[in-house]
Amino acid sequence: MEILSALSQTSPVLANVSSKASELFHGSSVLEFLTNSVLVALCVLGIVLWFSRKATKNMTLIPHKAQNFFEFIIEFLYDRVVGIVGEKQAKLAFPLLGTLFIYILVSNWFGLIPGVGTIGVGDAVGPFMVGEVHEPLLRPPTADLNATLALSISAFLVWFYLTIKELGFMGFLSHTFGAKGGLKGIMGIVVAIVFLFVGVIEVVSMILRPMTLSVRLYGNIFAGESVLHTLGGLLDKAGFPWSFIGGVLFPFPFYFMELLVGLLQAIVFTLLCSVYIQLSTTHDEHHEEEGHH
Amino acid sequence: MELFSPISGTIMPMLAAGKVDEMTQKFGLSFPKFLAQVLIFVAVYAILKKFAFGPILAMLEQRRQRIADGEAKLDKIAKDLADAELNAKAVLDKANEDATRLIKEAGDSAKTLTEKRQQEAIHEASQILAKAREASTLEHEQLMSQLKREFGRMVTEATSRVTGKVLNSDDQSRINQETSAQVSL
Repeated sequence: MEILSALSQTSPVLANVSSKASELFHGSSVLEFLTNSVLVALCVLGIVLWFSRKATKNMTLIPHKAQNFFEFIIEFLYDRVVGIVGEKQAKLAFPLLGTLFIYILVSNWFGLIPGVGTIGVGDAVGPFMVGEVHEPLLRPPTADLNATLALSISAFLVWFYLTIKELGFMGFLSHTFGAKGGLKGIMGIVVAIVFLFVGVIEVVSMILRPMTLSVRLYGNIFAGESVLHTLGGLLDKAGFPWSFIGGVLFPFPFYFMELLVGLLQAIVFTLLCSVYIQLSTTHDEHHEEEGHH
Repeated sequence: MELFSPISGTIMPMLAAGKVDEMTQKFGLSFPKFLAQVLIFVAVYAILKKFAFGPILAMLEQRRQRIADGEAKLDKIAKDLADAELNAKAVLDKANEDATRLIKEAGDSAKTLTEKRQQEAIHEASQILAKAREASTLEHEQLMSQLKREFGRMVTEATSRVTGKVLNSDDQSRINQETSAQVSL
């Protein structure tokens, strides 16, 4: 009966998770940039530095555990990247794509550590207890649009550099706006006009890519945070111990889903960047033929 | 320009109505925060490139090269083994051939030797038989001669006793000759 009573007091309202990262030092214009997501990003940087040093220190042909684990991840990623962009581009693009994958994955999973998003400043209801956390101390970087934009714009700039390096500026224009199919005469002119229009649409889609990449990642991780917070706070109004039990049991299954979402989003972001690079650095068939002649 | 109306129709009203500012406020977008995130990402990139991707890709390449070398060596060893087996087979075949030839030669030689020894034995046996026959004949003749002499002596003695006459040497010689002549008959 107590359980039913507690369940009747559930609050179905979505948790009030802030859509933006909180500044750690309010009022300081110098430290304006230091937000809870920047703090976690620095933690991620530290984790990556520590683990990469640990994995690559005293490397041997027969790998030790950390080296083996890191080799597995990098070899897996490298093979996927080579499969998409080819051996030549993979050598240039892999450091960016590998970094994107590892950084996004670690950031996404960092958000699942208990305390991230739930420890912070709020209205006090007791010693070291707040009713609702308004400004969490930690927030995964991928739940901050600044960070996801930083990732996508960095990827966009590298994509543009690789494309121009491979095709040249005129080659890029030709690749984007040039007519394909080798038709001549009236039909050639019609096709050229169509491809010019398609090129304009292509340019718009290229410009929008950083936005779509960043919003997709941000939306998924922010939604996951919201779901976990909402489920964790379902029994908050029922009082102790129900609030505690509800806070542990309800979000528990969704942690597995969020683990999967975190991995999937890292893969999606990396693979989409790979595909963009592959699409723009592939030479057209007639160029290849001309090259052979 | 009509073609661009779906894009301009969405973006332009947002810009006009200050929606961008609203979005910037709502999501906390600001250049310093964005730059901080970019710098952190670049730092992660630099760390991974220096401490992870570089050494690990080099190690993977080294391992791949080692495996390729190992496989090449394995192929070479397999080829050498096949060659060695062929050589060994050839040597064995030659040895078998030589052995067969030697055995045949030894057999032939043994047969020849056996025949030679057999001939020698036969010859020796024939000689022994001839000598034995000769000795036997000689002995027979000696015995016969001795017998004749003895018989002559007995005849002489008997004659002497029967006749009561002392026989001289001429008589004895004559009786002996006659007896011998009669006995040889």
